[in-house]
Amino acid sequence: MSSDRAAPLSFRRARLVAGGAVPLAWYNLVAKKPRLIRASAGIGFAVLLMVMQLGFEAAFFNSSFQIIRALDADLVIASVHKYSFVTQQPFAPDLVDKAGAVPGVASASPLYAHWFDTYWKNPSDGKVLLVRAFAFDPDRPVFRFPEVRAQAHELKAADGVLVDRRARPFLGMDPPPPSSEINGRRMRVVGSFALGPDFQSDGTVMMSAQTMRQLFPETGVEAGIIKLAPGADRNSVIKRLRAALPPDIAVLTKAQLLDLERKFQATLSSAGPIFAMGTIVGFVVGMLISYQVIYADLSEQLPQYATLKAMGYRRFYLIRTVLEQAALSALAGWLPAFVLSLGLYRLIAELALIPLAMSAGIALVSLFLTLGMCLVSAALAVRRVLATDPAEVF
Amino acid sequence: MRAIGPPGLHAGWLGGTYRISDPTDRSGYQRIGSNRHALCACSFGPVSAAGARAPVKVPLAWHILVHEKGRTALALLGIFMAVVLVFTELGFFLAVPRGGLLLYDNLRFDLMLVSNQYEYQVQPGVLPRRDIDRLRRAPEVAAIAPLYFADAKWQAGDGIWPDTFVIGLPIGPPRGMTIFTKDEIDRALGVLARPDTILVDQQTRAMFGPLRTGREIRLNGHRETIGGTYRMGTGFMGLGVALISEENFARLFPRRGLAFANLGLIRLKPGVEPARAAADLEKRLGDATRIFTRNALEAHEVAYWTTRTSVGIIFGSGLVIAIVVGIMTIYQSLASQISRQLPQFATLKAIGYRNRTLSATVLAMALLLLLAAFVPAFLAAVGLYSVIRQETLLPVAMTGTRLAAVFAASLVMAAVSALLSIAGLRRAAPADVF
Repeated sequence: MSSDRAAPLSFRRARLVAGGAVPLAWYNLVAKKPRLIRASAGIGFAVLLMVMQLGFEAAFFNSSFQIIRALDADLVIASVHKYSFVTQQPFAPDLVDKAGAVPGVASASPLYAHWFDTYWKNPSDGKVLLVRAFAFDPDRPVFRFPEVRAQAHELKAADGVLVDRRARPFLGMDPPPPSSEINGRRMRVVGSFALGPDFQSDGTVMMSAQTMRQLFPETGVEAGIIKLAPGADRNSVIKRLRAALPPDIAVLTKAQLLDLERKFQATLSSAGPIFAMGTIVGFVVGMLISYQVIYADLSEQLPQYATLKAMGYRRFYLIRTVLEQAALSALAGWLPAFVLSLGLYRLIAELALIPLAMSAGIALVSLFLTLGMCLVSAALAVRRVLATDPAEVF
Repeated sequence: MRAIGPPGLHAGWLGGTYRISDPTDRSGYQRIGSNRHALCACSFGPVSAAGARAPVKVPLAWHILVHEKGRTALALLGIFMAVVLVFTELGFFLAVPRGGLLLYDNLRFDLMLVSNQYEYQVQPGVLPRRDIDRLRRAPEVAAIAPLYFADAKWQAGDGIWPDTFVIGLPIGPPRGMTIFTKDEIDRALGVLARPDTILVDQQTRAMFGPLRTGREIRLNGHRETIGGTYRMGTGFMGLGVALISEENFARLFPRRGLAFANLGLIRLKPGVEPARAAADLEKRLGDATRIFTRNALEAHEVAYWTTRTSVGIIFGSGLVIAIVVGIMTIYQSLASQISRQLPQFATLKAIGYRNRTLSATVLAMALLLLLAAFVPAFLAAVGLYSVIRQETLLPVAMTGTRLAAVFAASLVMAAVSALLSIAGLRRAAPADVF
């Protein structure tokens, strides 16, 4: 009678629901395996698209936060003219000493940085390429990277550098060569760490402040890294620092620094809108796919729904079943997409050397979007069920 | 439903608007009656064996599609979105290299002289000015002009000091060459001749403050006056771009001076073949310089952005997933059409239609849907590109190649999804259906 060969089965199960304990939506979903696979593939790929876009967006932001997060700081002082952490806006090193003398400050250490004028020579092919350079006092390594802290004392040797094994391969930093040149000056590679590039820099070198002054005689401090004395009240230390330092030096907590960077990236870079648009288009396509899936399911199961109606089930029950079925379809699409995206994230993170990683945020947002697109589609498609006339179906 | 008319078969769309009958029967297109609720209402008349060999694939596909207009509209919407998606991802994929090429796209040159340390436009390395002067005397060269790049802090007030990408250019007419293709820049060269005057790109971000003509700001502490604005775009050069005459450039960056340029723009005399001239001119200079033709330079920049940065992999993977999603969308539409109309397909099989004919019908359905959805999707993508241009300030534009590429990708999507859904046809076993 019906074109749905599985109908008798799910029809029989539908009857069982009369008892109320059997999840009808579940049986509807699994009644026909090929249809289920088709549905979860359709919804799943739309989910995958959204998850990848969300991941790229997060990776973009995370890559610009990586260095800030790695600062071993309670407070940071920097020029007020700095609009992003990755911009040259140096100030006089004696201001860091001044900050160190403020009561409540345990230590104030200078961080030197050159993002746009440090040229590393790849020793294997002789190419000269831009990298970012950080410098600090080897006794006070300002980063939390364990590898950097463990090897910091090696930097006391003249012209010693640590190089980034995860830098882009064309820099020739992995495996670390014994020596190379930076801005024409011979450098000894005394160790290495694994950090990776960001969207600005292809690779990183770290050195002592003294070595950096050999490369850039007039270099200034980019940030003062401040640790509070045990028991010191942060807000009063901030006040004292502001009083002690000139007005063109900003005193920020690490969270404030991150927040400034986030705002800068969000308003000025193209990455936000690009990936947001990718996510939106993925959502709309996903909604159309899920509408088709759900509509097709409902059409095939129309006789069953009509039967339920004829048996006296209320509209509310039918709507609930349809929505439950949509939610289950959403999960059936989301789950495999989620698993697949874990693999894709790892693959792309290694290929593109970006911090692409699944987070609870991405997982929840994508699940929420998937449920959203399936439930909206179901709400649109449910009219068909409500309009069924048992007399017409058979 | 009753069987009407001459020997034939009426089932679903077959009954609605189309009827298979003896191919010699030319009256076969008469409308037989509406059959909207007939999910499975099929009936047989005596089947003529000859009728089974009438492979009218496209009309059959057409009739299947118009039989249930609502469902077809839904399928069209799905394919429309899938094509828009591919356009969007391809737009992003190509926009980044295009953004990197923005300056070159607006410069007049046949050949580009660069340092052998040249990486990409923003990291070009430096070349001695005397190399540029040496080539000026070469017989192939009509004109050659240096271009200077430097970064300067835009200091207006006590707040943030954003970085400005400053382009220094010769402006004197004696050099016999206009550098930019923009008329508005050419017209403003007189303004640039004034001391300490800059032209600012209109895409320079809001954080730089108003770009009003006559406004005074400091660049690296040096007072400069905004002489006007122009429209080119900032690409990946920075948050703000300013043009300045080479004389003013030397005053603004006294330590840098003019002894080293970043690019040498070469215009060839008429009739000179660029690739050959590039090779000949390269020989006149030492190993420290390279000469690109326009095409070679574009290829170099595109390769830089797609292989040396994360862009290629990020947007490339987005594009691949978009195509898979597109396949899924079309497949979903076709497969649900097929599964709903399995009895009809089974009937066709029963009366002797071969699998190949039915497969071709499905393929024709996919192509018809695609053709119908492609045009509106193209128009929507043109609109979407302008939104993307505004939001990302990247030069995303619809081009013939892009159109052709997306159309080709769409054809592949339609074909693959048809192949996937044809598998469903095999289930159409007449004995099972009825």
